[in-house]
Amino acid sequence: MTQSAHPMLPSATHDEVAQQLFIRDLKVYLAEQIEPHLRPVAEALDPGPASNARVETIYNGLHENENFRAYASLRRTSQDMLWTAISDSVERQSDELEAKAAAAPQLGSLTLDPDFKVPEYLADRDVHLMPGGYHDNSEGVSQGALMDRGGAVYMLGRNGGLMNDVRGHTLVSHLYTCYPDFEPARILELGCGIGSSLVPVASAFPQAETHGIDVGASVLRYALARARHLGVAVHLSQDNAEHTRFEDESFDLVFSCVLLHETSEAGIHNVMKESYRLLKPGGIAVHLEVPHRYETMDLWSKIRGEIEFDYNNEPNWKAAISADYAAVLRQVGFKDPLVGYQDATPAPQRGAGHFSDTSKGTFRSWFVASARKS
Amino acid sequence: MPKVTVNRRLPIAGQSPGEDRLLAIAAALASELAVTRERLDTLERLCQAAGVIKPDAIEQFTPDPEQTKERDGLRKGIISRVFRPLLKDTASQ
Repeated sequence: MTQSAHPMLPSATHDEVAQQLFIRDLKVYLAEQIEPHLRPVAEALDPGPASNARVETIYNGLHENENFRAYASLRRTSQDMLWTAISDSVERQSDELEAKAAAAPQLGSLTLDPDFKVPEYLADRDVHLMPGGYHDNSEGVSQGALMDRGGAVYMLGRNGGLMNDVRGHTLVSHLYTCYPDFEPARILELGCGIGSSLVPVASAFPQAETHGIDVGASVLRYALARARHLGVAVHLSQDNAEHTRFEDESFDLVFSCVLLHETSEAGIHNVMKESYRLLKPGGIAVHLEVPHRYETMDLWSKIRGEIEFDYNNEPNWKAAISADYAAVLRQVGFKDPLVGYQDATPAPQRGAGHFSDTSKGTFRSWFVASARKS
Repeated sequence: MPKVTVNRRLPIAGQSPGEDRLLAIAAALASELAVTRERLDTLERLCQAAGVIKPDAIEQFTPDPEQTKERDGLRKGIISRVFRPLLKDTASQ
């Protein structure tokens, strides 16, 4: 399935497009033009590998530097501008978006939980500075529309443009590559968001019954309308990826896409444990994450991780890229976990994917940990 | 109203809120300029392609009262967007 956009996506006027492109380019400018000048500043502050607080020392020292502070400030401002611009645009067309959601073909379902308790690590911060966060419980579909359009601009067009769906396709490619005979009958995505990965996975296995869970009512409402307009039946519910309401051994495929770095250290373990519980014997768990490993990152990338935690509300970046996933998967009961990097692809084909222990870099590879329940 | 309040917005350590705000204003201003410049570019290209305006037409133009009113609205919109960071801090005092 190759599509450039979908009917639920908030439209953008001439000026809104220009505004969103400006924000994208400001982000690129800060990363490509300003950051290289801060790297040597960071290196000069390095106490050396003998220090047991190497990253902290550099990070604290950088805050004494006025230029670093201005960079950090503008980087966050670009993120504030992203959400403000898109929020204004969504607000302008909110009546149309609600009407479009109501007019969608009646495919799939949505189950909301009025007593749902948001996990602490999402309740205490708005991840990525998105006002309202993933867990926003407002009426209608606006928060989902904000997340969808914002996500596509945030990814700078490198994850499947306005569909933002390369991760889902890449996960399918991983299944084709490493489990070629696998044909799931029941599928669950933990942390499906607006369904940008759920839809391509459901589309790859059209005979399967596909479910997705997430924490916010508005995001889920939007996700259902989005999938419906794409002609894909998905069953969505408001639930916690660490402890879902589903029965033991009720799925053939349980997966997540970039969920783990938005949880907590304990959350990673619990999501793996929950995946094992939910799988039927012979079922497969696949968890896709960013293609970085903390231990092999250079000092500046580690500093960026600190910036992301403090100033972009990434709750679990460091733990998610430090975890020993093979060990965690074994701990929860899986026998032969696979851990490595799957080549990113917008169009998975059987026999054409590539999985190895080497990352080709951001947006060219995704980290994948997977295992079959025996 | 669109949501503007973010849960957990830490100050940049060592930076004054005033400097943070000024940078945000500068970025918003640059955004406005980029959007306007792009719109102008679209317009000029369309007009040139259609042979609608002569080279000195822009310099010769004077808005009528209704047009002036609309342009006042455009300008006020720019001001409220550029100085939104100041409004936000002032309003939440």
